[in-house]
Amino acid sequence: MKALRWLAAALPLLTAAGLALAEPVRYRLDPEHSFVHFEVLHFGTSTIRGRFGPVQGTVLLDRAAARGEVGLAIDTASIDTGLKVFDARLREADLLASTAHPQAYFVATRFRFDGERLAAVRGEFTLRGVSQPLELQARRFGCRQGGAREVCGGDFEAEVQRSAFGATFGLPFVADRVRLIVQVEGIRE
Amino acid sequence: MTAPRHRAGRAARIGIVAALVGITGSAGAQGATYTIDPTHTFVNFEILHFGTSYNRGRWDRKQGSVQFDRAARSGRVEVTIEMDSINTGVPPFDRHLKGKDFFDVAQHPQARFVGERFVFAGDKVTEVQGELTLRGKTVPLTLTARLFNCYQNPLFKREVCGGDFEATLRRSDFGMTYGLPAIAPDEVRLLIQVEAIRQ
Repeated sequence: MKALRWLAAALPLLTAAGLALAEPVRYRLDPEHSFVHFEVLHFGTSTIRGRFGPVQGTVLLDRAAARGEVGLAIDTASIDTGLKVFDARLREADLLASTAHPQAYFVATRFRFDGERLAAVRGEFTLRGVSQPLELQARRFGCRQGGAREVCGGDFEAEVQRSAFGATFGLPFVADRVRLIVQVEGIRE
Repeated sequence: MTAPRHRAGRAARIGIVAALVGITGSAGAQGATYTIDPTHTFVNFEILHFGTSYNRGRWDRKQGSVQFDRAARSGRVEVTIEMDSINTGVPPFDRHLKGKDFFDVAQHPQARFVGERFVFAGDKVTEVQGELTLRGKTVPLTLTARLFNCYQNPLFKREVCGGDFEATLRRSDFGMTYGLPAIAPDEVRLLIQVEAIRQ
């Protein structure tokens, strides 16, 4: 609920701050197809994978004007690696700090298009209360008619250094560099 | 709130370590036996959804062992996956995947991969060729290594070998034709993390 209030407050402010969208269409993230997956190298040997989600939020998209806005909230306690012991460890203060910081956020207003295709979204990612610039690169993006409603979505990727957010436990055996793979589908409101 | 969970977590972790290093394997003439570390062994899958985004999931319960001889450049791996442990983060999707349209876990509770041909470049494994048995069908499958390494694990105080492997299969080969081709394509990408502890 805190996230929804936060998003409701943030999006109009972002619009007022100078993005006069020509014909923005609002999409709400589909909880069945909106997850943040992560990959991090373990002892230089194999890749640990896990997932957060479903991600909550809305996207405003104006394809004609090649503009958009996005505000996402991620429950950090939703982490799921397939191993409950590991998930509990990841929620502790020296990693996700889920008690002190129950949510991570991504807010972006800089959408880059390559012709018709959405190529990247640049904004700010907040984790453990620390905000850093982050660009999500679109691996694919498209819209389709899903029943009566239009659905837009795709897969996005980014890399973060977890130490930049203060999540330092296990370095260097578990790598600093974390790859984020974001599945997102939004249903037109 | 977190302290009891933390203690429970430590106890469980110690239990896992004890179980893993306690199992004695038969280190025969063909090198050493390694037991799969289930905490660092997962089969993940990716499949395109309506041409828009990738659905991802994994199986959480599995067991297996590896015979591995670096000097002789040979090996054998056998891994069994409990199909009921599929986990996509979307419970209705998990239920659909467990049903007759897809994995039919009531009839076929396990999948099994047996790899008997290890391909090496130097002392690194680059490919494992074998057979996947899924939903009662057995099909050849080659796992391509993206990473491979052996290291001394300070927790287990034993050698651990592992890596990242990938494969692409056609789900129709296993009789899973639901939603072809509009909802989801035939090709499914497998992303496999594996680590195994020397016994």
